[in-house]
Amino acid sequence: MTPITSLIAIIGTLIVALLVSVWLPGIERKFVQARIQQRVGPPISSAGIMAPLKFFFKETIKPHSPMPKLYNALPIVSFLSVLFILLIIMPQLYVFAAFTSIIAIVGLLKIEEVIYMFMGSLSKSVMSLKMPFPDIIKGAKHPGTHRSYLEELSSLRAYRLIAFGSFPLYIALFVPVAMSRSIYLSGIVAYQQVHGPILFTLAGVLGAIVFFIGYMILLNEYPFAILKTKADVIEGPLMEYAAKYRAYVYITRGFLMFVLASIFTTLFLGIPPNLFSWTILVTIAVALIFPILMAIMSAFSPIFTYKQFYPTVAGVSVIGILAILASFL
Amino acid sequence: MSLKSYSRARAIHVMLVYTGGCNGCDIEIVNCIFSPKYDAEQYKVFLTWNPREADILVVTGPVTKHNEKPLIEIYNAIPEPKAVIAAGACALMGGVYKNIHGDIPSEEIAGPVDKIIPVDAKVPGCAVRPEDILSGVVAALPLLLNAK
Amino acid sequence: MNEDNKITDKKVIETEITMGTVHSAAIEPYRVRLFVEDEIVRDAEITIGINHRGIERIMEGLPVEKANSLTEKICGICSNSHIWNSVLVAEKAIGIDVPERAQYIRVIMEELERLHSHMLYLAHGSEVLGHETFAMRVFYIRETVMELLRMIGGNRVQYGVSIIGGIRPRCELDEMRIQKIREGMDIIDEKILEFADRFVSDPMIMARVTGVGILSQKQAIELAATGPTLRSTGVELDLRREMEAYDPFEFDIITQDDGDVKSNLLCRVLEIPEATKIIRQALDHLPDGKITNRSWEMQDAPITKSYIEVPRGKLYHSYSLEDGRVRNSIVRTPSITNIGAMQYAAVGHHITDAQLAIVQCDPCFTCTDRAIQIIKI
Repeated sequence: MTPITSLIAIIGTLIVALLVSVWLPGIERKFVQARIQQRVGPPISSAGIMAPLKFFFKETIKPHSPMPKLYNALPIVSFLSVLFILLIIMPQLYVFAAFTSIIAIVGLLKIEEVIYMFMGSLSKSVMSLKMPFPDIIKGAKHPGTHRSYLEELSSLRAYRLIAFGSFPLYIALFVPVAMSRSIYLSGIVAYQQVHGPILFTLAGVLGAIVFFIGYMILLNEYPFAILKTKADVIEGPLMEYAAKYRAYVYITRGFLMFVLASIFTTLFLGIPPNLFSWTILVTIAVALIFPILMAIMSAFSPIFTYKQFYPTVAGVSVIGILAILASFL
Repeated sequence: MSLKSYSRARAIHVMLVYTGGCNGCDIEIVNCIFSPKYDAEQYKVFLTWNPREADILVVTGPVTKHNEKPLIEIYNAIPEPKAVIAAGACALMGGVYKNIHGDIPSEEIAGPVDKIIPVDAKVPGCAVRPEDILSGVVAALPLLLNAK
Repeated sequence: MNEDNKITDKKVIETEITMGTVHSAAIEPYRVRLFVEDEIVRDAEITIGINHRGIERIMEGLPVEKANSLTEKICGICSNSHIWNSVLVAEKAIGIDVPERAQYIRVIMEELERLHSHMLYLAHGSEVLGHETFAMRVFYIRETVMELLRMIGGNRVQYGVSIIGGIRPRCELDEMRIQKIREGMDIIDEKILEFADRFVSDPMIMARVTGVGILSQKQAIELAATGPTLRSTGVELDLRREMEAYDPFEFDIITQDDGDVKSNLLCRVLEIPEATKIIRQALDHLPDGKITNRSWEMQDAPITKSYIEVPRGKLYHSYSLEDGRVRNSIVRTPSITNIGAMQYAAVGHHITDAQLAIVQCDPCFTCTDRAIQIIKI
């Protein structure tokens, strides 16, 4: 394959990925949740395409933040880290062996998580402490307490998510590694071309379940949406994003859905996203199936607090470890 | 229709600020968003609780003194273009709370809403009906679509 | 006070989280300061009074008929309860006999209101739990009651049924309306039972609500919680047993034992079939005759009190009459003590659960915020 065709394949795949990913939030909302809730629901283009477009046409304002420029740059960093994940799982780039390993994917996903922490601590929304209201008056309880914003709370939660919430996803990523005895994506894909997809083994099935739970936790979807619970932190770290920066947040979310699905196809089915092969259809199909499953789960579950979150993550992690053990059989 | 107004018409985020009415209008508006019978999302109207995301601010209630400053803060937090809908008799003219006994002004009420922030569409009713809220959103829409 | 929700006596707590006055958990304006240590609430301060519009002062000196319809504007959820109680005060003070048919229709309206209020509570509770689907299901069922209310009163909210001496002529129940109400009750009974089954058998929801926001029986009595909030701690107290208008009807008082969110939810769910039961009985035995007693004359009266049971608990109205005008009006709604009790129920839980614990008493801040500051001289 010449460099030119490789380049065309890479850019083409990126464009296809973006085009598919903008429809995913709409599909989630319209076809699944609205059907379950027995209503008509929004048009499929509203949530993913029209909302970001609309935000691009809004007035750019300076957010309430101690470092507005850094705060506004964070969604772009987040988007770029997701973009890099998609780049390194493309087969055309397997020549850069050191970068195209599972470790790089883990690192880039970690960036995605850490960014929420920064967002949370930099956002100072009007909805909690800034609201002009006479709080500290005669007779008020505990007047000397340190007063914090809602976003600081969600920053704290993002920290906990880094500590334990992303366990399932990373354990699931290492199931294919344990099976193929290679941390390089090229090795994992080559192993599956010889031995058949990992998904169709016991370890693969368990790993896929664990991956799916990890996928939901990383996307902050109900019931794991402790970062942006409507009951307390409203929208959490994303509160202060307005105009085009909010559009980036919207696009990143849809794009992350697609990229996580293509990680799944690469690692568990041995099908890296490649425009010049019919297998891109498999990637797109998985990218559609995952949000649909997620929407079904989220439509039927309340939000979890730590009391339910810890056991769920611990249980799923145990399944993940079983999957890794099973892969040595 | 340009892409700008096309996209604006297809994703309308509504924020509800409730400034001390009697709960009636407020519940009818939530009803209009949540109830599958009305389901505002089919008309591309989404409910949000974040002023940075909102396009349209729906204000109910006569704006009590405590709620005046928060209302202004929230209004200022919404990026342009924005529109304000005052819903219900209290938001329009203070309702039964505004003037106690003829012309004696109430000490509790700072409103009506258009005294505090500019209002673009007015929805009358005590309490407003869900259908009227949707038509109020539609009435405010040209303002959003034709804005810069 | 039980050990779990003992409010800390430490002087300074680690962090304070402030929510309000506009917040997604409770749509009404209220300010809550939660004092947390590692996301566990150690103390809570709920500020009410943001909604204060001074409605009692507006009532002062108004003709009694006007004042009665003004009490409806205290609350949009339990408007019928307010106007009913206010009318009862006048009837008691002047000594008016209300025709039996009017009494029955008032009870029907009150129970319809209880239905829609409890369903709203379920929907709001589901929303705070983060369960959008259940919230929408309940709103869907609630729409049946709203249609019935519109049919009888002419308005979906604030229907103004009671007047002194009876009910408004437009709210008379003819055969067609009775038939519609019967059909509505069948739908509600069927759907709400189905919903309750789904709700109780959902393990994720039960994990969220069981053991959260516990209010012990002793605490509930000490803090003067009323209504379903009190009944969910095991106290069998329902003012409907003592109200004259409810004498002809058979119904059970629903009690639960634990005083947590689950008990509160179940208590209200199980009160819905009881309410439909009362409505059916009233429709079956609806007496004939006129609906308004117009043969009364206005006279002065000293301060007269009236207590009734409304969806949220015990409602108190009192005023005296002078030249047909209202004087010394006082309204006391159930939410004020319930909200005060919730400051205790929220303690000892995670923040998300604390919001749920505050919502469990079905708080109505609009009802609550009428208090007039009394300055000692």
